[in-house]
Amino acid sequence: MRSLLNFLARYNNLIIFLVLEGIAIYLLATGNNYHNGRFVNGVRGLTRGIEERINNTRTYLSLREINEALATENVALRNNMAKLVKKGNSAFTSVTDSIYKQQYTHTSAEVINNSTNRQKNFFTLNKGSRQGIKLDMAVTSGNDVAGVIVGCSENYSVAMSLLNLDFKLSARIKSNGYFGSLSWDGRSYRYAVLSDIPQHVTVNVGDTIETTGYSAIFPEGVVIGTVSDYDKVGGDFYKIIVSMKTDFRRLHFVDIIGNMKKTEEIELEKQFQ
Amino acid sequence: MINSILRFSLIFILLILLQVLLFNNIQFSGYVNPYVYIMFILLLPMEIPSWLLLILSFATGLTIDLFSGSPGMHSSATVLAGFIRPYVLRIISPRDGYEPNSDPSMVTYGFTWFLTYTFLIVLVHHTALFYLEVFRFADFFRTMLRVILSTLFSVTFILLIELYRRGK
Repeated sequence: MRSLLNFLARYNNLIIFLVLEGIAIYLLATGNNYHNGRFVNGVRGLTRGIEERINNTRTYLSLREINEALATENVALRNNMAKLVKKGNSAFTSVTDSIYKQQYTHTSAEVINNSTNRQKNFFTLNKGSRQGIKLDMAVTSGNDVAGVIVGCSENYSVAMSLLNLDFKLSARIKSNGYFGSLSWDGRSYRYAVLSDIPQHVTVNVGDTIETTGYSAIFPEGVVIGTVSDYDKVGGDFYKIIVSMKTDFRRLHFVDIIGNMKKTEEIELEKQFQ
Repeated sequence: MINSILRFSLIFILLILLQVLLFNNIQFSGYVNPYVYIMFILLLPMEIPSWLLLILSFATGLTIDLFSGSPGMHSSATVLAGFIRPYVLRIISPRDGYEPNSDPSMVTYGFTWFLTYTFLIVLVHHTALFYLEVFRFADFFRTMLRVILSTLFSVTFILLIELYRRGK
């Protein structure tokens, strides 16, 4: 017993160090996973007030750009509307039918916390489960990919940014339809990497890269960016550097897209696995 | 005693605010992320008991973690920094030892000593932090580049703050 006490007294620093380090590593291993939501719901509530205040200042400073973006979007929407009115004159009128027709729901939200300088970036949105946000919904900025919801509390949600080493997305070259896997290599916040495109395919600098819709998270045809460079790696595949259209440093207002038929699709696919 | 608790609480709050409100928002590029809050660990008095140093390190790291949504990452790196501080102090001790009841500051021990002291602890802290962040050994050298660049920036900022403190 005494030797045990002696031992403890002698190495008490090391023991405290190991205990604290153990707690930290435990938090790192369990808490970093935003899926468990505990961290998002509980402790982060403390800092959210401050985050919102910081964001308010930041939004105020960039009001001009936000206005410009909104004006451009308005024009685009007006153009679409004009086309729809024309279509409406045809024999078949479109009826808003939420059960059979509508597949995607859109909710607009504001980014209240964002980072681009880490290897695993997340951003926080000011809408949560009360506003109908659920896990695995897609987040887009304008019509460009931004991230996926990975954690929801009542009034807030956390999205994994495309700028995250763990982010994987099925993407294709718009011009020829060949698809591959898109991820971020952790280097620049402006570029992502598209891999798994076979080398017999013709790739041109400037080709548009868009989502495939295979993941049931993103709708088909959401723009990711354009090819800025490509390289042949190994024997079979290209490594395509994609210049992303979304400017993650200026993410302010985003759309959250939910797929209403996702459960159905996944249930059906499960039967064949 | 009470006076120094008050003083260090103030330093703690100022450094945390500086980190969270200013440095966390700089996002200069993925390669340069200065973390100046570690200066709190550097400034604590020489005679502080090791257990208190470790607990304060943990608390500092945890506070930063709460603000940056990265549970455990900063805590772990800062506890490591707190753990090695006594050893670093021993290695770089001046020829005639440390004066009793002194703070490890630039005023007391000079610029070169403070630079070495800051550089060593910040380097250990940043190495732990950035490798924990990626949590993989792929891109080993790129992470090392991030560690080195960020260390240079953090050390520069800490020295500037220390110079400003001395000026007052």
